[in-house]
Amino acid sequence: MSFDFERIWKGKRALSERLAARPLAEKLRMLDALRERAVALRAAGSQPAVKVREAQPPYGKPR
Amino acid sequence: MKIEEVLRTVNQMTTDRVIERYAIGGAVGATFYLEPVSTLDIDIFIELHTTPGAPLVTLEPVFHYLRARGCRMEGEHIVISDWPVQFLPPTGPLVEEALTNAIELDVGGISARVFTAEHLAAIALQTGRAKDKARLLQFIEAGALDSARFEQIVTRHNLVDRWRQFQRQFLEG
Repeated sequence: MSFDFERIWKGKRALSERLAARPLAEKLRMLDALRERAVALRAAGSQPAVKVREAQPPYGKPR
Repeated sequence: MKIEEVLRTVNQMTTDRVIERYAIGGAVGATFYLEPVSTLDIDIFIELHTTPGAPLVTLEPVFHYLRARGCRMEGEHIVISDWPVQFLPPTGPLVEEALTNAIELDVGGISARVFTAEHLAAIALQTGRAKDKARLLQFIEAGALDSARFEQIVTRHNLVDRWRQFQRQFLEG
């Protein structure tokens, strides 16, 4: 399997441009919908969450 | 849950002279120029009517007005039409200038006063958190900035070093 990242990137850019060009009232309705979803996800995430953490890089440690 | 209701309420606050003027900033302000990005609250910068000689700027008249209309406080926010709204007085010369130069846009028949794209980008540069840098990049990649106007703001507000650093970090190479 191979991915054409250039094509994927172009597709994402095109989608961003299309969304940015939508009428203001429609974009604000999208914000309403995005927030509703975010609030619902937060409420669902009240169970113990799985934490992902990166190890601290060894800055300044002597070798 | 409707931002349009928030706009109507804030416009009414201006008509009722609770605030002198306002402008939307933050992620909601950016949405007027870019693709919508999920956000949990609305930042509204306001200029209050001031009494000559009054030593303190207080947001209490704003909260009093909104509480009387059924809005509730939630931490630093006041909830209007289910949206937590943060009212912010200008925090410095850049935001003061942004408030003065904000533009009025029509949102399906409702007026909305919003920071210009260049001021939103300059404020993001000044604030400098990771998400602010990401937003500045979005403005640049979307071609949403008048670069001459942006650089004038950057120069006027002593952000040239930050801008050069940002360019080195994200735009060169």
